[in-house]
Amino acid sequence: MTRTSAAIVIAVALGAVSLRAQDGQWLMYSGSYSSHRFSPLKQLTPDNVSKLRPVWVYQPPGTGSLESTPVVADGVMYVTSGPTMVAALDLRSGKPLWEWTRPIAASVLNLGFPRVNRGVAIREGTVYVGTLDGYLVALDAKSGIERWTVHVGANPTGHAITAAPLVVDDKVIVGISGGEAGIRGFLDAYDAKSGRQLWRFYTVPSPGEPGSDSWPGDSWVHGGGATWLTGSYDPALKLLYWGTGNPGPDWNGDSRKGDNLYTSSLVAIDVETGRPRWHFQFTPHDVHDWDANQIPLLVDAEIGGRARALVVTANRNGFFYALDRKSGEFVYGTPYAKQTWAKGLDERGRPIEIPGMEPSDKGTLVYPSLQGSTNWSSPSYSPITSMVYVPVREMGSVYYKTPAEYRPGTYYTGGSEKRLDEESWGAVRALDVKTGKKVWDFALPSPPWAGVMSTAGGIVFSGSNEGNFYALDAASGKPLWQFQTGGAIRSGPMSFLAGGRQHVAVAGGHALFVFALGE
Amino acid sequence: MSRLIAAIVILPLAAGLHSASAQTRARPPARPAASAPANDAAAGRQIFDAQCAWCHGNEGDGGTGPNLHGRLRHATTLASIVEIVTAGIPGTDMPSFRSPLTERSIRQTAAYVQSLSRTTARPARGNAQHGAALYDRIGCASCHVIDGRGGILGPELTSIGSRRGAAHLREAIVQPAAAHPPGYLVVRAVPASGPAIRGIRVNEDVFWIHIRDASGEVHTLQKSELKSVDREIDASLMPSYASQLGAADLDDLVAYLTTLRGDKP
Repeated sequence: MTRTSAAIVIAVALGAVSLRAQDGQWLMYSGSYSSHRFSPLKQLTPDNVSKLRPVWVYQPPGTGSLESTPVVADGVMYVTSGPTMVAALDLRSGKPLWEWTRPIAASVLNLGFPRVNRGVAIREGTVYVGTLDGYLVALDAKSGIERWTVHVGANPTGHAITAAPLVVDDKVIVGISGGEAGIRGFLDAYDAKSGRQLWRFYTVPSPGEPGSDSWPGDSWVHGGGATWLTGSYDPALKLLYWGTGNPGPDWNGDSRKGDNLYTSSLVAIDVETGRPRWHFQFTPHDVHDWDANQIPLLVDAEIGGRARALVVTANRNGFFYALDRKSGEFVYGTPYAKQTWAKGLDERGRPIEIPGMEPSDKGTLVYPSLQGSTNWSSPSYSPITSMVYVPVREMGSVYYKTPAEYRPGTYYTGGSEKRLDEESWGAVRALDVKTGKKVWDFALPSPPWAGVMSTAGGIVFSGSNEGNFYALDAASGKPLWQFQTGGAIRSGPMSFLAGGRQHVAVAGGHALFVFALGE
Repeated sequence: MSRLIAAIVILPLAAGLHSASAQTRARPPARPAASAPANDAAAGRQIFDAQCAWCHGNEGDGGTGPNLHGRLRHATTLASIVEIVTAGIPGTDMPSFRSPLTERSIRQTAAYVQSLSRTTARPARGNAQHGAALYDRIGCASCHVIDGRGGILGPELTSIGSRRGAAHLREAIVQPAAAHPPGYLVVRAVPASGPAIRGIRVNEDVFWIHIRDASGEVHTLQKSELKSVDREIDASLMPSYASQLGAADLDDLVAYLTTLRGDKP
């Protein structure tokens, strides 16, 4: 694939947002519907990136970890902070044009995740944000004034929104958190102009629906399957690709014998109807909290001499998967990190499990830890190198099983873990998209929470828990530049043009850092 | 499982999360009561053995966590024990059990802990006064601080008796490598030229590492200029005192350490 065609592949036509990604905008959480987190900008190269300097820093009101990926559209940056706050920033000065904060009481529940917000969606002068207390809000992009607010999920039963919504045509797609509180997961679509609900897809089928025979009794009612991270979209197939979370209770599967569809799965959903077209379950009857809420990458690649339209994903369970994105057919799967729970995958991609790896009263040591071989931190795909760059967590845990009892608005988990911290480590790992095999590794002192971005200039950017924001050579993984932000980086980098210059932004600690070449 | 498991994470972290503070919202205990039924304590013992004994020792005799016999430092009533098991104790290694345990299980566990606290604290065998003299004689203070006095190479011991049980303290003296606390990881860095530097990892990021060697000097090293950096997970800078101390002396030293319960102002 040439550089020109690569830029076309990542370009998105997003309704009335007038410009395209290669014009220097960053129009959605993962950069494009394909979720490559790939910037087509080329000003920064391995030869000049060492001259990257901070140009401004934005510190939002409040405290806590900043986990947002900014969106840049029509010359303005939109960034969020926890529990629920949106700021519109001037690109050149970093100064706020407006700040909108939703009052979130201390009593608002966040069972199983921090009080964060990971970003907005934008369409036709309107910014969309999910709230910790379970609402979707539309804000005027110029003023931050609310246009409409709709109720998505009841927070007193553990529903919350931390993920960035996704805009597709005239729809706003939004997922829900609450998989540790025994919610029944769903994905919603709302009319972008009015906020009217268009459809809801429940990730756990009710009795009589396909997949319902994978849930005994009434276990489906609190079956989990949260949709807590933004998905991807194929405009040609009109399919959404959305990951689903763990079944409930997390670590005690006694009450839910069976595969527990469609938890810990990737589901392809018709964007018009909200109906599932296909699903692929990575971890049937998951008892390790291995959510499949990772960002799916839509990739075109030649596999075995045949051009394939794929969706690829590094799953929390330690395996990297390539699926046909039209049919859901398993194309290949391979371990990409240390895992001790499965001998491998069968010809259909189902794990061949090693007996005795379930959580137990006295504890069971398993790799990966419950946080997985990777987690919500975004991967990146470069159509130039044909490599997938994965933030990898090399860590094991001792898993415990305890009784579980559903009570509304409390944890419904049935277990715990003890992490093996001292021997854990992390990496940005480059995988060949045709095979899933490792090409290079850039080692980190601890399992990362930062996402990865690759660029057409040949650079991979990512961060560390220890505060480093760094640039690697996309081809070799060799470090080229770093900046110590002074706080853990738990966000995905992005890139945009301002004043004709390429900028790179990343949140570290409770601040957003923006960099450009020194002049 | 040994001390390799350096951190206990009881929160579910499904959303990739490790913010304990975010989860520790105060909530009223399920059933505030001065005391609990005896069958609660019996059920609580089973939960304790699986979830708590790893730190607090079998029968609550203490380990990496404190001995729970006798007056508890942070709780005096059943309700306050429930609150601690539920929410953890900020600033200590005691985590929240809100996620793994149901409210009923927490209440039962608290009932068992309360029953332990009503038994007399079993003093460690040995002569604490003689142990204090031994502490001075064998040079412990060259590496450890008590009440502001001593060396800084090892952990401060001012309140070690309220945070660790006797069995763990004994192991730390006899087999320090098997009992080093979090924050005392030994690393070995080999520069491009010159001798290897071995010591406690003071700090590390992707590009730099800071190592305090046995003399107390801190080395600031850029990783790109090192041949290698290795973690010695099963090592400690502290030598074993097994061959220096007889059984009675060891008892005395442990007894002394268990008396160190200093509260800082």
